[in-house]
Amino acid sequence: MPEQEAQFTIDRSGPAPVLRVTGDWTIHTIGQIDAELRPVRDMVEGRPAIVDVSGLMDLDTAGAYVMEKALHSSVAEPAQMIGKHPVAGRMLAEVRKFTAGCDALPEPVALWRQLLDRIGRGMAQVYDESVDTIGFFGETVVACGKAIANPGRVRWLPTFAVAESAGLNAVPIVMTLSFFIGAVIAFLGKTILQDFGASVFTIELVGFAVLREFGVLITAIILAGRSDSSFTAQIGSMKMTQEIDAMRILGMSPMEMLVVPRVIALLVMFPILTFLAMIAGIAGGAIVTMLTLDISPTLFFNRLNDNVGVDQFWAGMGKAPVFAFIIAIIGCRQGLNVESDVISLGQRTTASVVQALFMVIVVEAIFALIYMELGI
Amino acid sequence: MNPADALTPILDIPDEEVAIRLRGVGNRFGDVVIHEHLDLDVLRGETIGIVGGSGTGKSVLMRAIIGLRAPSEGKVMVLGHDVWSTDPSERKALDARWGVMFQDGALFSNLTVRENVMVPLTEHTNLPPKLALEIADLKILMAGLPPSSADKLPSELSGGMRKRAALARAIALDPDILFLDEPTAGLDPITAGKFDALVNELKETLGLTVFLITHDLDTLRDACDRVAALAEGKVIAIGPLDHLREHATGWLSEYFGGPRGRAALG
Repeated sequence: MPEQEAQFTIDRSGPAPVLRVTGDWTIHTIGQIDAELRPVRDMVEGRPAIVDVSGLMDLDTAGAYVMEKALHSSVAEPAQMIGKHPVAGRMLAEVRKFTAGCDALPEPVALWRQLLDRIGRGMAQVYDESVDTIGFFGETVVACGKAIANPGRVRWLPTFAVAESAGLNAVPIVMTLSFFIGAVIAFLGKTILQDFGASVFTIELVGFAVLREFGVLITAIILAGRSDSSFTAQIGSMKMTQEIDAMRILGMSPMEMLVVPRVIALLVMFPILTFLAMIAGIAGGAIVTMLTLDISPTLFFNRLNDNVGVDQFWAGMGKAPVFAFIIAIIGCRQGLNVESDVISLGQRTTASVVQALFMVIVVEAIFALIYMELGI
Repeated sequence: MNPADALTPILDIPDEEVAIRLRGVGNRFGDVVIHEHLDLDVLRGETIGIVGGSGTGKSVLMRAIIGLRAPSEGKVMVLGHDVWSTDPSERKALDARWGVMFQDGALFSNLTVRENVMVPLTEHTNLPPKLALEIADLKILMAGLPPSSADKLPSELSGGMRKRAALARAIALDPDILFLDEPTAGLDPITAGKFDALVNELKETLGLTVFLITHDLDTLRDACDRVAALAEGKVIAIGPLDHLREHATGWLSEYFGGPRGRAALG
């Protein structure tokens, strides 16, 4: 059945104005006449209080709503209806109950105020998040302390599962990326140092950069992206399905069940991954220097041993447990803060990766300062 | 005979008076047969309650009718159109003629209640934005929600209010048919009773046909004109509630005769 256009006229010939409506007044047709009808709605005086529905065809609640809005009508003083229509009377009466409420809607807030509001909230959130993270850090330290005091209570099965998924499975990507970083450093070093006739120092550059900074940093960045998102999503979806609540009720502490295994697994796996990253990075650098500078492997490793030394290795390795701890607790904390809706899961996962990366870089800078002061 | 009292799943009445017509519908998941040769006619303007034990495929049947999962065989006619062999534009028009309230509401969690109700309005009509807002608010109020809930996210609402919000979205386009999947599940008896009354009221106002899946015997008694019982892959019994109770056999007699059935129906 094709729809008839909705139309209306206001007949002012009689003693009182009459709104004469014709055609279909449904949600599909009223869009066209809304602009024409709006001035009638805003009229203070002379708004028709009588509606003639004899020419009206189809009517639904949306049509009845705009009609009722254009009439001088309220539940106490309903508009009169002339003409016959199967549903119009009932429909108008039903809608009349609610039309007043649709006007009482809050005005939308101005854009600039929304902006200020969001900036303010964002600032307050940064503060709250920092306080919360520090609190959670303390809680985790206590839980880990208890676990060390009583190793029997550590959940070893999930610990190994996390060690596999977050640690072992990350070996290929960590080593590959590290290899390429090592190679790139060697290329850069060779190109720049050649100008000074000191291209052999590329070996030292590779050694310092990979052992001291990049081995551990690459590992931290990959784990921050890879493991933090998965920690947050895993724990967060458990939170959404009330599994965490169930744990609490059954007397199991989520800290002990979920956080401690992840912290232990990362504390163990992170140094191993860092070590592998260092090997791969050195290998990348070594291959490039050997091929482009025609340096023998013996020379490469001799120079590495004499001029870089094991100190740099330990300087890099020393950061590993710190990064591991940061990554594990940020991922777990964000997971535990997920609420029952999907948006918060997304927000928390993003926050977890961003915060972990941020903290890793900040702590890396702090380490650089400390090492400098110590003269390492 | 008044067709609303009909005691057979197949009614001998013209297509215009039938809202939903199922003929020989079969549904199977692999080797598991859910429905076989299922016939059902739902009259325009009636509320039909679908009952059946868990796993008898009430929701599967609903999904076949509203075009979410193709039946393995058979014909699904809704308002005179074959749901599974219409062209896309006709299908879209058909989509606008039914409203569906899923079991858990299925509200879009990143949108406020008002935005949720506006989704079908913006998708299927070309209303000016301001009018669409007003219509959305009208539906929210009609569903019995306070105006203040319009700007809330679904996660900020209670279970009962979420159901009402889902109902507001389902009636946004003034549909001809309203599908309700367990509308009162998980609600306290008072809220559930109010919800039944709301459905009845909306049905009267909007002239709806209501396809209602429920386990709630109170809802069957208070909101349904006819009840269809699903078992063994078919409609094993259909008719007004009283008739079904009198002639209940097998699963149905257990259903009505159990302590809960007696308590609810007296």
